[in-house]
Amino acid sequence: MVDSDKKQFRKRDFLYVIPLWLLSLIVPDADDLYSFRSKEFKRRELFYLGALLFVPLIWRDPHFHHLMVLAGIYAILALGLSLFLGYAGQISLGHAAFFGIGAYTTAILTTRYGFPPFLAFLISPFVAAVAAYLIGRPILKLKGYFLAIATLGFGEIFQVIVRESTVLTGGVIGIFDIPFFSIGGFSFDTYLKQYYLTWGVLLGLFLYSKNLVRSKMGRAFLAVAASEEAASTIGINVARTKLGVFVIGAAFAGFAGSLFASIMSIANPEAFSLNLSILIVIMVILGGMGNLYGPIFISILLTWLIDILGKYQAWSLPIYGVILILLLIFFPDGIGTRLGIRLIYLISYWSKKKRRDEGKV
Amino acid sequence: MSLLRVEEITKVYDGLRALDRFSLNVEKGIIKGLIGPNGAGKSTLFHLISGIEKPDSGKIYFKDKEITALESHEISALGIGRTFQTVQTLSNMTVIENIMAGMHLRLKGNLLSSGLRLPWTARAEKGALKEAKEILDLLGLLGRWKSPASQLPLGKQKLLELGRALAMKPELILLDEPASGLTSAEGDQLKERIHQFKRDGMTFCIVEHQMGMVMEIADQVAVLDNGRLIAEGPPTVVERDAQVMDAYLKRKRSDA
Repeated sequence: MVDSDKKQFRKRDFLYVIPLWLLSLIVPDADDLYSFRSKEFKRRELFYLGALLFVPLIWRDPHFHHLMVLAGIYAILALGLSLFLGYAGQISLGHAAFFGIGAYTTAILTTRYGFPPFLAFLISPFVAAVAAYLIGRPILKLKGYFLAIATLGFGEIFQVIVRESTVLTGGVIGIFDIPFFSIGGFSFDTYLKQYYLTWGVLLGLFLYSKNLVRSKMGRAFLAVAASEEAASTIGINVARTKLGVFVIGAAFAGFAGSLFASIMSIANPEAFSLNLSILIVIMVILGGMGNLYGPIFISILLTWLIDILGKYQAWSLPIYGVILILLLIFFPDGIGTRLGIRLIYLISYWSKKKRRDEGKV
Repeated sequence: MSLLRVEEITKVYDGLRALDRFSLNVEKGIIKGLIGPNGAGKSTLFHLISGIEKPDSGKIYFKDKEITALESHEISALGIGRTFQTVQTLSNMTVIENIMAGMHLRLKGNLLSSGLRLPWTARAEKGALKEAKEILDLLGLLGRWKSPASQLPLGKQKLLELGRALAMKPELILLDEPASGLTSAEGDQLKERIHQFKRDGMTFCIVEHQMGMVMEIADQVAVLDNGRLIAEGPPTVVERDAQVMDAYLKRKRSDA
């Protein structure tokens, strides 16, 4: 397919081939385990790492740093859901609830009980994971749309609980004055410090995820997504695998929530509404199913987009919606699925499609 | 010694008796063939043995342990591997990952140790990769180990599915129509492989719609019709059995 396309290349195809090719140099590909250009990958990963380390030092704009902190928090959420949705193929529309659990655990422990933020940061994902375990056991038996509805319901119920239990959570107003994250007297009180904190945590979780998906556990996730029947006949415990990856995703959300609480100094129900749940799902889909790099890249893109659109006030939501729809139409597989279409393949795919549309194939 | 024992199982779908008080014995180290016309209950039998469906009555024993009520993954952990009539390769993985997925139970690692890539899990993964390549080499698929499993032609996917089952190192393998969709060269290769694994001490149970391959390689053949066992014995004896011919002829007449 690819070979025959190369022969039919035309000059004007370069109009979109060159921008796409340039884009494909920067935009991450899905990383499948043993087959795909590992040297190129290592080089690209080094490039990303370098960019993450030095760009905020060069571009010393506090607003940019702040945006990147937000993007990092979203990226942690998207990374966790990527394991659950992108790898194990299960849908969750209530992921923001675990983000909320993480945020409130940190908020309550630090403001009411005087826990040091670092300790609260370690406890939060644990609480989120336990909640996910308790919720997951009954509802993960559901599949597809039913699972979507059940997780959606869980997210909404959690919202109501938080709004109503005023004594514990401060109700609609939430909890204020959460102390900044600090380790041994070093307080993360500037945007730049918070940037390194967030992206450091993200890097750790990313390495964990990458190891996980490249192991027998990752193959079990994928097998469950491909065929539960086939997975169970090779000895994979489907129920336990789903529960495991749900709990991991929730723990990631717990980390993100805790960071959010101690960086923004606030935890309120607005922060983890259904909007957030859907935003994370969009990040994973646009990032590519079975792709760990994509959701992170998209979370930066969308955070930046939402910020820019904020200038247009009332128009921001419609424009945002249209952009999302366009992205989903032109990139139905996002940045690249695990073994599927990648940006670089789109070059040949588009040139072929164009000729087909012109009726010359 | 009997490895698998099926005792009087019955399975009813919407009033249709897919299996009717069906009993079967599979001895260790043999190739057991199961033949019968479409709808005779062969695939249902495999679903019941591998735990994907549960029988309405009757019992199934594997190595003298009752497995009737066990979950599918527990049954595979005891040492029963299988393939499916319509291939179920794991389409979101590459060829080699499909084989490695079959080694799931034999590899060390859990959500924590695999995520941290502790030395022993890293070692297990490396070993698995090497072993998977050996299995692929044996099946003649090594040349395409990097391609997505779904891009293989159907015949190769069948072989891959067999390889995934073999990677479990099970004691018993249930093959559901392994030769359908294979070219004759691929079929011969498959036969050769099955014989080789039989010599290594593996037991096979093979369902076929057509008599051809099963009659050639099976040590014992059981014939099913309408959910009942109508003949059993060495292939040469069964072939002569009048009832068998009848079941096939009847079917042929109704097809025409």
